[in-house]
Amino acid sequence: MNRFQLPVEHTKLPNGLQVVVAPDANAPVVTVGVYYKIGFRLEPQGRSGFAHLFEHMMFQGSANAPKMQHIKLINSSGGTLNGSTHYDVTNYYEAVPSNALERVLWLEADRMRALKVDDENLRNQRDVVKEEVRVNVLNQPYGGFPWLDLPPVAFRNWANAHNFYGDFTDLDAASLADVQSFFKTYYVPNNAVLLILGDVKPEEGFALAKRHFADIPAGPAPKFADPAEPEQKEERRGDVLEKFGTLPAMAIGYTMPKRRTAEWHAMALLDQALHGGRAGRIHRDLVLEKQIAVEADGGIDDLFGYNGPTQMVTRILHKPEYSSAATLAAFDEVIREVQQKGIGSHELDQLKVKWRSDYYATLEGGAMPKYGLMHLLACFTLFDGEPQLVNSILEGFLAVTPQEIQSGAQKYLRNENRAIVFRKPEAAAPAGKQEAA
Amino acid sequence: MASRAAEVAVGVPALTPERSVTWPKRTKSRLTNGLEIVLVESHSIPKFHGELFFRSGNAAVAHRAPALADLTATVLRTGTAKRTSRQIEEDLRSLGADLGTSAGADTSAISFAGLSESAEPLLGLVNELAREASFPESEFERERRQKLEEVKLQRTQPGFLAGERLRKVLFGAHPYADVAPTPKQVAAYQRDDLLTIYRDFYTPENGLLLLVGDFDSAAMLAKIEKVFGAWSGKKPAAPQPAAPANPRGRGVYLVHLPGSVQTQILAGSHAITRKHPDWVKLGLTNSLYGGAFNSRLVMNIREDKGYTYSPRSGVSPLRQHGYFSVSAAVRNDVVAASLTEIFYEMDRLRSLPVPEAELADAQNYLSGVFSMGVATQDGLLSQLSTVALNELPDDYLETYRTKVRALTPDDLLQTARKYLDSPNLQIVVVGDRAQIESQAALFGDLEVFDAQGNKLSA
Repeated sequence: MNRFQLPVEHTKLPNGLQVVVAPDANAPVVTVGVYYKIGFRLEPQGRSGFAHLFEHMMFQGSANAPKMQHIKLINSSGGTLNGSTHYDVTNYYEAVPSNALERVLWLEADRMRALKVDDENLRNQRDVVKEEVRVNVLNQPYGGFPWLDLPPVAFRNWANAHNFYGDFTDLDAASLADVQSFFKTYYVPNNAVLLILGDVKPEEGFALAKRHFADIPAGPAPKFADPAEPEQKEERRGDVLEKFGTLPAMAIGYTMPKRRTAEWHAMALLDQALHGGRAGRIHRDLVLEKQIAVEADGGIDDLFGYNGPTQMVTRILHKPEYSSAATLAAFDEVIREVQQKGIGSHELDQLKVKWRSDYYATLEGGAMPKYGLMHLLACFTLFDGEPQLVNSILEGFLAVTPQEIQSGAQKYLRNENRAIVFRKPEAAAPAGKQEAA
Repeated sequence: MASRAAEVAVGVPALTPERSVTWPKRTKSRLTNGLEIVLVESHSIPKFHGELFFRSGNAAVAHRAPALADLTATVLRTGTAKRTSRQIEEDLRSLGADLGTSAGADTSAISFAGLSESAEPLLGLVNELAREASFPESEFERERRQKLEEVKLQRTQPGFLAGERLRKVLFGAHPYADVAPTPKQVAAYQRDDLLTIYRDFYTPENGLLLLVGDFDSAAMLAKIEKVFGAWSGKKPAAPQPAAPANPRGRGVYLVHLPGSVQTQILAGSHAITRKHPDWVKLGLTNSLYGGAFNSRLVMNIREDKGYTYSPRSGVSPLRQHGYFSVSAAVRNDVVAASLTEIFYEMDRLRSLPVPEAELADAQNYLSGVFSMGVATQDGLLSQLSTVALNELPDDYLETYRTKVRALTPDDLLQTARKYLDSPNLQIVVVGDRAQIESQAALFGDLEVFDAQGNKLSA
C-alpha cells in the first residue's frame, strides 16, 4: 500500500526551543503553534484551574504588544487565533495568510520572552473564565459530564483527580505573583516547541525562528510532580446530581496503558471497536438494538497527547424506564463479549481501514487548517523527541493482532480498573409514563 | 467603551507581499436526469469529501409538522432494499468512510468523506441511500422514540431555548418560525410522512452533488455517470409562504429556566439572504460589530468588562429571509448592563463612520479568513456549497476579496443603519425569572414563557 508521508524538519535552538517545520505550498496559508509542556494535570495544588486561567493571561499583553494588540494584530493580518489547555500541554496557535508569518512569530516570541500583565487584566480574565465555566458546565445540562465528574472518583493522586476548570475559590485566590511564577517556571523556551506548518520553506522557517526566539534565555528545567497513581484494587463509584437534564446518565472509565506501548496500540483499536460511531459495539448494542440508551459514545481522550494516567470513557444517557443497574448490566455484557471472544479478523481489518482514514483527516485539520498535524507533531516532539513519528506511528496500529486486542480487553477492561459516575436528574420525571404512541 | 486608552504595539514586523490565492478549477456538469455536479480537485490528503444536497428541507413540510425532513434524513440511513442498518454501518467502516444525513430549513443532505481508493463503492452506497432507502418500520419507531427524548432534553438547554424563541418572534406564521417539534407532534409523526418526503425531495432534478478531493475530475465524472445516471425524478413544487411580518419596536421575551446561574441573551432582527447585493457589506459590518475576536462588542463586554466568555454576532442566511443576531451568555447581575452595551455598539456603528484604519483591519480579516477555505478539502466544500446552493455567480470566490476591499466607511454606515436594526431589535433572555425580570423589562414590553413554550402571566 502507498503510504502517505509528510515532509517534516526539526531543529533545536541553543536555548532549548525545539522548532518543527512541515512545508506545504498548496495554499498561501501558514499555521503557527507554540506548545508548552504544562497542562492542568500538574498545575499547583490549591490553584485548581490555574493552567487554564493562565492560558487566558497569555492574551493579555507582553512587553511590546499590550492588551488587545495580540488579537488585533492577528485578526487584522487576515488570520484567526486561539489557545487551549490540555492535560499535559497548553497550546497557542494562529492560522494566517503566509505573508503574516514573521509578524506571528514576533508576537509569539514577545510573549514567550516577557508577559506584561496587571491586576486589572487578571480580574477581567477571572470574570471571563467564570462565565466560561458557567456556560460550559454550571448552566448546562450534563455540563462537565463526564470529563470533570470522573477524575475525582477514578483517581487518588491530586494531579489526576482535581477540578481542572477550577473551583471558584481557587480562581479567586490566584494572584499576579502566581501568574509570574508559573510563567517563569514553565514558559521557558527549553520547555516548548514552535511549529510552522504550511506555506513556508524549512530554511526560511528556521531562520525566522532563530531571528525572533534565539535570544530568549533558557530557564532551569521545570520540575514536574509525579502523576503516578497507586495501584487500584477495587471498582470505584460516585454520584453527581444533574440539575437540568431529564435523563439518567452514567460514565464508565477504564484506566489505559502508557502511550506508545504495544498495549496502547491495541487499546486504541479496541476503543474504535467499542466506540466507533454507529458501527461501534456499544452504540449498536445499547442504542440501536436493545434501545436502552438515547446516547452512548466515548473513547480515549487525546490519544496522542496524554502523558499520565488516562481513561477510556463511555458516556451513556439512558431512558428513564431502565434502571442504572439494568443499563450497566447491558454495558457489561458488551465488555464481557470482547473479553471472552475477542474481535474477529474481519472486524479488525475494517477497523484498520477506518483508523487510517481518520488519521489522514486528523492531519488535515478542519476549520483550522493542519490543527491535527500541529497537535501530533507537538506531542511527539515534547514527549518523544521524535516529530517524525507522525509518518510512522500508523504502522503500529495497523500491526495489531486479534490476540492483542483480546488480552488488552482482559487486562484493562476489568472492574478493578474502572470507575463509574452516575449522574442523576434532580427532578426525576415519573418513569415511562408519557410514552410516545 | 474601553475604559483604558488603547495602547499600540512597538516594533511589529510589516506584512510581506501577499501571495495570491488561487481557487481551484471547478468542473461543472449536469447529468441528463437533471442532477447538478460540481467537482474540485484538492490533493492535500488521499481522501475526498462530498455532499449530495436536495433543495428542500423542513420548511417545505412545516404545515405537516416541524423537523419532519430531519427525521426523514435520520431514518434514511437505517436500511435499503439491499442492506440492513448494521450492514450499512459496517460497510462504511470497511471503506474508511464517514457519512451523515440531515435536513435544515431549506435543504436535505447526505454528507460523506472517504478514502480516494474506495470512491466508487462509497458513491454506490450514497446512491443507494438516495434512491432505495426502505424506511424499516422498526427503525422508524426507534428513531421516533429517540427524537422524543431529544426534544425533551433540548428544552433544558439555554442556547436552544433562546434560538427557538427568537425564530418564533421573528417569523410568526412563516415555516421558519418552528425549529423543533413538541413531544405531541413527535408522537404523531407517521412513517408515511417520511416516505412522501423521501419520494418528493430526493430526486436528481432537485439534487446537487459536490465532491472535493484527491481524484481526477474526468475519471470521477465518468464514475458519477455510471453510478447516478439511471436515476430519475422531478423537482418538487416549492411552497412560497407569505413573507413574515417584520416586528416593529423592541420586544423582550423572557424564557424562565429556574435555577439558572447565568443568562443567555439572544437578540435579532430581519436582515437579508445570501443573494442580496448588500450581503458582502453586511458581512463586513457584522465582523466589525461582533463577528470577530477583535470586534467592538467582544472587546467591550469581554475584554474590557468581563461580562461574558463568548459574545458574538452573525447573519443567518435562510433561503427566503435572512436574520441578524447577537448573543452572549452573561452573569445574572449584568443582564441590563450587557444589553446596554449591545445597543451602544450597534448605535455607534449606526451613527459614526468607522475610522479608516479600523475598516482596513476588518477588510484584511474578512478576506484572509475567507481565503482560509482554500487550504482544506472541507473548507473548499463549504465555500463551493455556498456558491452552488445560493446560485451565486461563477466568479464569486475570485471576486469576493476585491468587493470587501472596495467598501468605504459610508457603505458601512448605511449598512448598519439598515440592518443593525436597534430600534426594532427583538430581545430574548433565558434565565431565572426572579433574578433577571426587572432588568429585562427595562428594554421593552415583556412577555414571559416557561421552557415548554407556555406563556406565563407577566
